[in-house]
Amino acid sequence: MNISLRQLFGRKPKSSSIAKQRLKLVITQDRLDVDDRFMTRLHHELAEVLAKYFEFSVNSVSMSLKQEGNSYVLVADIPYKKFHDGNARQ
Amino acid sequence: MGKVIVVTSGKGGVGKTTSTANLGTALALLGKTVVVVDADVGLRNLDIVMGLESRIVYTSMDVIDKQCELSKALVKDRRVDGLTLLAASQKNNKDDIQPEQMKAICDKLRSEHDFVLIDSPAGIERGFSNASAGADEAIVVTTPDVSAIRDADRIIGLLQHAGIEPINLVLNRFSPELVGNGSMMDQEDVLDILNIDLIGIVPEDTGVITSTNRGIPLVYEDASPGSQAYMRIARRLTGQRIPIPDLEHKGLLTNIVNWFRNR
Ligand SMILES: Nc1ncnc2c1ncn2[C@@H]1O[C@H](COP(=O)(O)OP(=O)(O)O)[C@@H](O)[C@H]1O
Ligand SMILES: [Mg+2]
Repeated sequence: MNISLRQLFGRKPKSSSIAKQRLKLVITQDRLDVDDRFMTRLHHELAEVLAKYFEFSVNSVSMSLKQEGNSYVLVADIPYKKFHDGNARQ
Repeated sequence: MGKVIVVTSGKGGVGKTTSTANLGTALALLGKTVVVVDADVGLRNLDIVMGLESRIVYTSMDVIDKQCELSKALVKDRRVDGLTLLAASQKNNKDDIQPEQMKAICDKLRSEHDFVLIDSPAGIERGFSNASAGADEAIVVTTPDVSAIRDADRIIGLLQHAGIEPINLVLNRFSPELVGNGSMMDQEDVLDILNIDLIGIVPEDTGVITSTNRGIPLVYEDASPGSQAYMRIARRLTGQRIPIPDLEHKGLLTNIVNWFRNR
């Protein structure tokens, strides 16, 4: 379960913090000169590989590049239903 | 067969992108099929203002370079039927696109949608000629201040020279309070100078800022004055005759007289 206190008390996050979060993502992409297709391709290919190990819905995956200090981090959020039993599917 | 309308101004920061996002969404809410096109190559913003920034795969540059079909480059806005975005490339600049190439894209989009709204970059150079190359009509956005109006006049001249007609004015960030105390020009002052048709007045509205923060166009919030102003402009664009309400608190009687006069 992933419910924050804020959601529990029915308060919407401040629009300014949403703005900051959205800006950080696009500006990281701008600075890295990331191609629009790059993220989409990465998304699809990673999902393909991960599908061998987990059961999840492709549409629920969100992926983004973030800047933390001097380095960049790829953050993937993949809500999964379960691991596949035994070894990875071939 | 639809209409291609360029949203332009001359001066930056007067509300072109805000107006394109809100009018595009408003027209779709009225049941029209709409594409909003970002013509600000290298400095795109329409995607983030509309909240579609994480969904872009292809841009108009890819279509021009034949990397993908035009229909495939249109990002579908999932919140309303019939609305799509054609993004601009962030990695190129305005000189990488020719006016004829933009015109070809507009011609194709016109044949498949009711409205094509083009968000123009500021300035009168290549970015403007690309944005207006395929346009049938124009919406000029201005705020009621001297530099925006002067630049709007310059743009109107260029649009007229290019044979684009009609040219309609959106007066943005209007403050009845400031007009009331004499510190802001009213619509009559502005129209007196610019001499084109007024299609609507959008008040100064803090809702514009919060809705832009969230990436949810203001027209989804029914109650806000800015939202209502954009909805009325959208209805006028579809041909409905809706009077421009008097935002100057002139009193009920004047409003009634104006309402009849404007019919
Ligand atoms: N009616 C309005 N009320 C309040 N703020 C507005 C209004 N219209 C535009 N703004 C703000 O003005 C700024 C510039 O608007 P924008 O649409 O980006 O202009 P442009 O595309 O012409 O450069 C933005 O911060 C926007 O939120
Ligand atoms: Mg803009």
